Amino acid sequence: MQSRFRKTTIVTLALLTWLSAAGLAETRKEYRYTVGGNANISVDTQYGSISAKPGSGNEVVVVATLKSDSVEVDQQQNGNRIEIASHLLNGANEQTGQVDYELLIPPGSTLNLHSSTGALSVERLHGDLTLEGPDAVVNVRDVENGHVHVRTMRGPITLTDVRNGHVEIASISGDVHLKSVTGPLVQASTGSGKIFYDGDFGSGGSYQFTTHKGDIEALVPVDVSADFRAHSVLGRVHHDFPLQPKHSRFPVEVGRSFVGTTGLAASEVVLRSFSGRIRLKQR
Amino acid sequence: MKCCDVEQVLQELLDGEPDIAFEGRSSERTVEMRRASSDLEAHLKSCPACSELAADLKLISSQARQLAASEEPPSRVWVRIAAELHAEGLISQPTPIRPVLVPTSAPRRWSLWWLAPVAAGLVVAGSYVVSHRPAPQVAQQTPATPVTNAATAPSPVPAPVPLPKTAAATPASVPAPARQQLAQKESKPAGLPETAAGQAVANAPGNEDQRAEDQQFLSVVSTLAPSARATYESELQAVNADIRETQAYVNRNPGDEDARQHLMDAYQQKALLYQIALDRIQ
Repeated sequence: MQSRFRKTTIVTLALLTWLSAAGLAETRKEYRYTVGGNANISVDTQYGSISAKPGSGNEVVVVATLKSDSVEVDQQQNGNRIEIASHLLNGANEQTGQVDYELLIPPGSTLNLHSSTGALSVERLHGDLTLEGPDAVVNVRDVENGHVHVRTMRGPITLTDVRNGHVEIASISGDVHLKSVTGPLVQASTGSGKIFYDGDFGSGGSYQFTTHKGDIEALVPVDVSADFRAHSVLGRVHHDFPLQPKHSRFPVEVGRSFVGTTGLAASEVVLRSFSGRIRLKQR
Repeated sequence: MKCCDVEQVLQELLDGEPDIAFEGRSSERTVEMRRASSDLEAHLKSCPACSELAADLKLISSQARQLAASEEPPSRVWVRIAAELHAEGLISQPTPIRPVLVPTSAPRRWSLWWLAPVAAGLVVAGSYVVSHRPAPQVAQQTPATPVTNAATAPSPVPAPVPLPKTAAATPASVPAPARQQLAQKESKPAGLPETAAGQAVANAPGNEDQRAEDQQFLSVVSTLAPSARATYESELQAVNADIRETQAYVNRNPGDEDARQHLMDAYQQKALLYQIALDRIQ
């Protein structure tokens, strides 16, 4: 009994020592920059997450949390342009090379974020956004008036409450979730991933969703005003809307495509898949 | 001198070799260049990464100089290809979206330029396939199921994709040393993939150029961590399968414009995969 207690104590102490050592190795650095209007901010990290939110005034605050001393942060400012990059040192790996960034920036800033593996999160900004990363989990929320460009290999992409900007999303196998996303141009393409849209397609935009074998599903209110075209070369299509028929060069085959309008046909919606299923459903 | 300073002076110093670079210049400039050169040499002695980078660049520069003018297509070829790519909206002027401050894996930097033209070549290939297919005689409605009539489906097996030579698709913006290196890469076999997925990709049916490009791609991603490497191989395999599947359908249904567009989209997916890999390794 006593022996077991002693063993447990030793293991616990060893664990606590290891945890405290790991904790000590983590470093937090803060950088502050003053910028004028239209700041251009780039953050590039091989491993780690990046999040950006609006800050106060014309100040850019970057908080970097380095998981070990096997990685450094390089940063420089040239006028309104700020560049931040993680710099892996010899022996760094996915764990020790991780740097997590938290940014507070002027809301109208142009932002370029790149992380190979971490999450990319942006909210409440209205500048142009470019978010890239092979496995990055991308989350954009409450963004307006700026262009949003997202590119991943298999990382899932979620956009919520994005308004009045060009949205261009490209992924190879990542799922794309769009909730209340409207604008003059909204494009999403993914190969084997799925595309989900939940919204009203705005009032005058062009929406183009394309997959190769992933499904496309759009959930829209009954009073949506749009001109719909949907076609799956080898998959099935389905809608439960009373669409008004419309002449179109688009190939119409029962079960594989549909064309029609609702309301005033304010927006153009094109849903295309090679072998995925397409569904347009009333909310 | 730091690693990030090396890039600024390395190209200039190595491009001309000191004796050529200093010729005809003002004495102040010469002194400045000599000082930069000595600082660079000191740094190269202490930094293996930059030293390897310098050696790579020096090799490429020297090889490029040995190129006879007649071996390279005239510049108008590159200009014309680039103009066509622009006209079709397949490429645009490069914009400095994400400048890299410090190389995270400097030794590989100079050996990856070929990926960009290859990605462009894939898009060109897709465009070629889509636009050069014979137009259907009567094709307003596409059959709901694939046609199996032998008369209209001459090839039950996916036809090889008519990919242009990668070097021929290299746009004008690609520097001569990179084109030379690309030519060298084409003339020598790339490293074989290590995993089963990589082997499957390498053995997949298709055009020789396409297989060579895939081999190069796999060779490059083999430098990544095993998990990342397996992911890229798997994605490449999936994209190639999509291309083959769509190509087979288009062969059977040449009048299906939407299917041809999907074939183009599949090529763009492959180009995207190449671009993402390039970003990852740089």
